[in-house]
Amino acid sequence: MILSIVRKEMLSVLRDGRLLLLACSVFAVLTGFFLASANEQQQIQQEKQRVGQTAKEQWDSQGVKNPHAAAHFGIYVFKPDSALASIDPGLRQYTGQALWLEPHKRNRVRFSPAADQGLASRFGQLTAGFVLYALLPLLIIGLAFNAVTQEREQGTLRMLHSLGVSGTKLLLGKFTGLLFVFVVVLMPAMLVAIIILYQNFALTGDDLLRLLALNSTFLVYYAIFAALAMAASAWLKSSRQALFILLAFWLASVLVAPRLGATTAEIILPIPTATTFWNAIKQDIQQGLASDGDHDARAALFKAQTLKDYGVTSVEELPVGFTALNRNFNDRYSSRVHALHFDNLSELCQRQSRLIHIASLLGPTIAMRSISMTLSGMDLAHQRHFEDAAENYRHYFIDLTDAWDGERSHGSGHNAQGHDTDWHSVKAFNYVSPLLGFALHTAWLDLLVLLGWLMAALILLLLSAKRLKP
Amino acid sequence: MSSITPVLEARNLVVNYKNHRAIDGLNLSVPAGTVYALLGGNGAGKTSTISTFLGFNKPTSGNVYIDGESPDENPAGVRAKLAYLPENVALYDYMSGLENLTFFCALAGIQVTRQQAYEQLLNTGLQADAHDRRVSTYSKGMRQKVGLAIASAKHAKVMLLDEPTSGLDPSAANDFAKQIRAAADSGLAILMATHDLFNAKQVADRIGIMKAGRLVEEFDAHTVAHDELEQKYLAHARGLQ
Repeated sequence: MILSIVRKEMLSVLRDGRLLLLACSVFAVLTGFFLASANEQQQIQQEKQRVGQTAKEQWDSQGVKNPHAAAHFGIYVFKPDSALASIDPGLRQYTGQALWLEPHKRNRVRFSPAADQGLASRFGQLTAGFVLYALLPLLIIGLAFNAVTQEREQGTLRMLHSLGVSGTKLLLGKFTGLLFVFVVVLMPAMLVAIIILYQNFALTGDDLLRLLALNSTFLVYYAIFAALAMAASAWLKSSRQALFILLAFWLASVLVAPRLGATTAEIILPIPTATTFWNAIKQDIQQGLASDGDHDARAALFKAQTLKDYGVTSVEELPVGFTALNRNFNDRYSSRVHALHFDNLSELCQRQSRLIHIASLLGPTIAMRSISMTLSGMDLAHQRHFEDAAENYRHYFIDLTDAWDGERSHGSGHNAQGHDTDWHSVKAFNYVSPLLGFALHTAWLDLLVLLGWLMAALILLLLSAKRLKP
Repeated sequence: MSSITPVLEARNLVVNYKNHRAIDGLNLSVPAGTVYALLGGNGAGKTSTISTFLGFNKPTSGNVYIDGESPDENPAGVRAKLAYLPENVALYDYMSGLENLTFFCALAGIQVTRQQAYEQLLNTGLQADAHDRRVSTYSKGMRQKVGLAIASAKHAKVMLLDEPTSGLDPSAANDFAKQIRAAADSGLAILMATHDLFNAKQVADRIGIMKAGRLVEEFDAHTVAHDELEQKYLAHARGLQ
């Protein structure tokens, strides 16, 4: 019986004439966005590659100079965006493109300017992702708002009841039929998107798995809207009422909830401004953490310990360069302070993101948006993963240059030198993006919220079926 | 031709809609192979009676039975035994007559082949060239024929008709009456709510007049004269009796 209803629903939309128009519109809009995004993404990748290569060549050919001076030349590293960033560029606009690695200081790609930007700005860019999570639910509403009210208004509901069709079977059939039709409408655009991705990027197995996961979660998201639209159509007396309620829900979920959640999170858990953040780091380095003592006290202690270790009484007697050792000691302390503050900031951002989910009570869009960014590798967690890897690399090349500086000088001298062969021997930054498991672990709360909404929508659908009267 | 055991029965049926009493102590029985016509003005309780047999209304007191079963207790079992034809047979306009028939039969749990569906439609008098046309192009009479074909395909024991000839031209109404009579002669118990005295007299075996939810008078349709029936009906409608 359900299968017959599914077939009839599909026939209804197919013969309606709306389907062709909708399919063409969806195809045109999505393909346009995919093409534009893929093109932009490819340009960005090529530019990153070109600039990265130039920067490495410049690093490699610095000529004869002091290793620490060479380190100050610095290295640019770039986050290699996933191919799926063509679908959802996520936070790219706010996280920047390059990270500048230099001695003494951990730079921020993401966090410092973000403090001066509204949290709400993380939502609502006009991308293929926006079409998928914000506009397509409108299409579902357009297809489903009168699915049951029309049957009631035209008298066919009475006919169906007289044949013994239960409300539950009717609604489940209509729900399945609608979802199937929707997938058919979406399919051409998705196939073109996959072809575009395949032609423009070297897709890895993980990319394909992420794409599969993204499609599955979007299907769940659309199922939520389909079930709610069907329930509203069954629950309410007229098509107009159902349309009004569903549009209000769409507005709340897509436009109001993200901004409301972001504003609430900003008020409850404010992020420090860039100035406050850097001043706090500077102050902790100068004054020291806990009982570490201030900078001068730590420096005096280090000097005494170094002299003792080498069994000498003055810096000039040291067989290694004290300046390099002292710098390395200070850098390590600085890194510790930086890590502490960056961790706190990251934790604050995560707590903010979790807090935003309070607004998920208004709709599932926040969760879907977040999942989409995470699976595309363009969220805060992936950015943090990249920045941590970059910081480890910074430690690697700073330690290396400091070691050369120390080994090639004596006492308080500054005469250590390095050559192109040294600079060339510094390994290039080779970032390995995390796999799907990392993304799923990151998005557990969003997935939970989405599944919660699916359960609630299906329960509402079944309840509305129980009270369905001809 | 007719059996004594009622297939369709209402016993002391009372149905209230909030504060309004739609049916007030109705007793009615329709044996197999007979047509019972319920006459009455608007709001007399005819459609409410049909709806209660369909299980759309819950009796406030008393009960209705179809082949000995109450729709309240076994709605699925009861609905499998009945066919329903409303005043305007609600079909899906974007589907052809053949597709509508196949779809509604499938919902009723009956699988019909295209050939069987075609024959069912032909038996109701629907021209073959209309079978594959969309129902949106059908006249009311043609829709009624598809409705009849659905009822027929269902092999129901009971047929409930709600103003079935309303809006039909005389020729279509006459064709329809013949179909109904043939259905009854094949053993169905038919309850028909109607305003149409001529149609009632032509088709029915028994005629009941309803007023304010009560069955106020019953006639043997074969013996009552048309004039007498008309006078009684008008008298009840005008409140003279």
